[in-house]
Amino acid sequence: MPTAGQKKLLEELKNSLTQAVPEGQVEDSDYTRTGCHLEVRLDQGGMRRVAKVMLDKRFYLETITAVDFIDHFELVYLYSTYYQDVFRVITRIRIAKDATPFSVSAIYPGAIWLEREVYDFFGIRFQEHPDLKRIINPDDADYFPLLKNFGKTKFTEEIDDILC
Amino acid sequence: MNITQLPYIKDIFAFMGSDLMAAVIGLLIIAVFVPLNVAFLVLVERKVAGHIQLRPGPMEVGPHGILQTLIDAVKLLGKEMVTPGMTDKVLFFLAPILVVVPAFVGWVPISFSPIMQIREMNVGVLLIFSFSSISILSILMAGWSSNNKYSLIGAVRAVAQNVAYEIPLLLSTMSVIIMTNTFRMSEIVNAQSSVWHILYQPVAAIIFIIATTAECNRAPFDLVEAESELVSGFHTEYTGMRFSLFFLAEYTNMVIAASMATVLFLGGWFGPFFPGLIWFVIKVYFLIFVVMWVRWTYPRLRFDQLMNFAWKVLIPIALVNLLITAIVLKVI
Amino acid sequence: MNIKTIDDATVNQRVYQLNLGPQHPSTHGVMHLLVTLDGEVVIKIEPIIGYSHRGHEKMAENRIYEQFLPNPARMDYLSGMIFNHGYCMAVEKLCGIEVPRRAEYIRVITSELNRIASHFIGAMDYAMGLGAITPFLWGWDDREQILDLLEGIAGSRLTYSYGRFGGVRNDIDQAFYNGTRRFIDRLRGRFWDYENLINQNIIFIKRSKGVGVISKEDALTYGVTGPSLRGSGVKYDVRKNEPYSAYPEFNFEIPTREAGDCLARYQVRMAEIEQSLNIIEQALDHLPPGPVRSKVPRFVTPPEGECYLTFESARGAVGFYIVSDGSRIPYRIKVRAPSFSNLFAMTKICPGHFLADVIAIFGSIDVTVPEIDR
Repeated sequence: MPTAGQKKLLEELKNSLTQAVPEGQVEDSDYTRTGCHLEVRLDQGGMRRVAKVMLDKRFYLETITAVDFIDHFELVYLYSTYYQDVFRVITRIRIAKDATPFSVSAIYPGAIWLEREVYDFFGIRFQEHPDLKRIINPDDADYFPLLKNFGKTKFTEEIDDILC
Repeated sequence: MNITQLPYIKDIFAFMGSDLMAAVIGLLIIAVFVPLNVAFLVLVERKVAGHIQLRPGPMEVGPHGILQTLIDAVKLLGKEMVTPGMTDKVLFFLAPILVVVPAFVGWVPISFSPIMQIREMNVGVLLIFSFSSISILSILMAGWSSNNKYSLIGAVRAVAQNVAYEIPLLLSTMSVIIMTNTFRMSEIVNAQSSVWHILYQPVAAIIFIIATTAECNRAPFDLVEAESELVSGFHTEYTGMRFSLFFLAEYTNMVIAASMATVLFLGGWFGPFFPGLIWFVIKVYFLIFVVMWVRWTYPRLRFDQLMNFAWKVLIPIALVNLLITAIVLKVI
Repeated sequence: MNIKTIDDATVNQRVYQLNLGPQHPSTHGVMHLLVTLDGEVVIKIEPIIGYSHRGHEKMAENRIYEQFLPNPARMDYLSGMIFNHGYCMAVEKLCGIEVPRRAEYIRVITSELNRIASHFIGAMDYAMGLGAITPFLWGWDDREQILDLLEGIAGSRLTYSYGRFGGVRNDIDQAFYNGTRRFIDRLRGRFWDYENLINQNIIFIKRSKGVGVISKEDALTYGVTGPSLRGSGVKYDVRKNEPYSAYPEFNFEIPTREAGDCLARYQVRMAEIEQSLNIIEQALDHLPPGPVRSKVPRFVTPPEGECYLTFESARGAVGFYIVSDGSRIPYRIKVRAPSFSNLFAMTKICPGHFLADVIAIFGSIDVTVPEIDR
């Protein structure tokens, strides 16, 4: 059951976000099922405009991650508040496999490491990132471990078939 | 042929019989006593630390672990002495040798009891201070020659710290010296036959103990080896027997410092019921216990706080204390 | 330094780099801090991580949900029970599984015991970074009691997998109940000792006050959470702000301090230990009867979809982001590690401090390296 503060914030955010990213879809999300109150879907770009709105509304950047859907990536940005009425916004950006999205590190400095981690595991190169290099895997690694085709052999596929 | 008839040999015997012989025998006793004493002190330190930290300390070797440090010494003797590459080999070799020299020589002028003193000297107190400065040189040598940044930072800290803390140390000693008008250890003790100097000079005594703790690089002033930041400070690269020589010097310096404090402030061998030597030993080990107690209670100071404490607190207080002592003695 | 191999330019430069780690007494695991120093003053600090990377997120994509159950506790080995609890909740949310109330209470009790154990390491390891070894061993002694209690019900001492989807593995026994009661009484009596030994220790205060201040603005932009954030005066705790499990039923406070320095973070941790004791006591008082595990199929098969679940570990807000494609194998599990963000905030606050303060700040932020590397 959303509180009054959450309802007010939801309306405000919807307005500002539709102004900031008119090309995207801003939708309510079922908090009890997904854990998020608001979902923003975008194609290719717009993460910086969303981040600016979020910083204005005093949200903190929880995490940045990506999901490999074989034919495209989905970049996921999670924003949340420090307020008593919790509010979580998930931004999902569909990008092509060879896309170079913009970095939000100029707005949220904490994103420097989060984007490095995404690059490290998925090979997504962020534009205008101050220091884009490997963070957890070795510097000389030539693989991106969380891609779905990494580590797939005939043997592991058989195991997957058994498990599913 | 009766050799005593030869006058020059007789002179040599007479010479040996008086001073040189006493020095040789005394140094032999020191050479045996110092390592055993260090082994004992290391055990005491570990037991004190253990009981402060709600654990029993070493318990395995011998009853209540009393043979633990002997076993450790044997282990250290058997270890390979590694000399890392790119070190300054001569200094690296010399530093641990040089560090034990003042630890042994420092015992010479200390008077443990009226009859136990290796060599009475006019400048006994000064001799110990001047030798203690040599150990700083060896720490600098060890830190510089190790070719390790931790060692170098530790050594630089050691020099700065010792320069700073030697001043309040000497100033607080001077307050006692101008009361007794002598540098001779036995005379300083004899002057305290009725009242100990700590009652006349409580401020100087506290400053002296703080400054000697810093001079011996003991916690909370152990920035030289600060294991949480500098791994092990100036002796990071030392192994085996060379490492244990630094250890030996540290504990022996602690005993010398405690003996100095006993002589200067705690009335040396004076005390009821027991013979003088026993009183002396009790006082020395009590002071060492206090130092250990402090070590396991307090965190380490930061470097700037350490220097501020010396220059802005200890030195002004020691100076004022010396001034008041001089005025009281000369005017009244 | 070998004089022969160094040219004049190197000799004359003031700035030098010092490697703290990967093997170092106070880096809490395998962690490398590359510190650029001018004398003893820090100019720049760059943590180099990844030495204990085990690929938990990749592992999750290659096994069914039940097989991943032991993994979360290995991410943050100091608060393994809380991670285990959180992972179970995330999968339960995804599948819509109900959990019996008794199981929720037991989860809260074990999580809070684990939080106390973890905070003891965090707070006392900070004191050890300052050079005081005794508090560390005192804290270790109290923590040992908790590990014994948890071992009695979960079987392991550090990396628990006690939670199951839809409950916990087994009910608590009388020995655990009595032991926890005794432990609460014992620990309440010990706070006086800690107060005397550490909190009133003048050197401890001198070393902690005003060191490593995290401002509210920095905390927001760097995503700092947990006791490090509450030390900066932001009253944010997932247990209160976004209540989960049985936490809404308990009466407890979120301690905060305004200063934002190392001392504030330490004080927050110690105050949280007291609050955790309150929660455990209330949970034991009102422990409901009933089963500890609901009827759940042997292998869960969540519907297609995704969920994000956040919970408060001893280090901050952890998030499990699970994407399911409708099969028994998770499509993607992303773990938001609080230590990861908190450690990066350290690079902002360290410059200008002394080398010894770096150790203090690092200790006061209290990170676990395996959680950062995952």
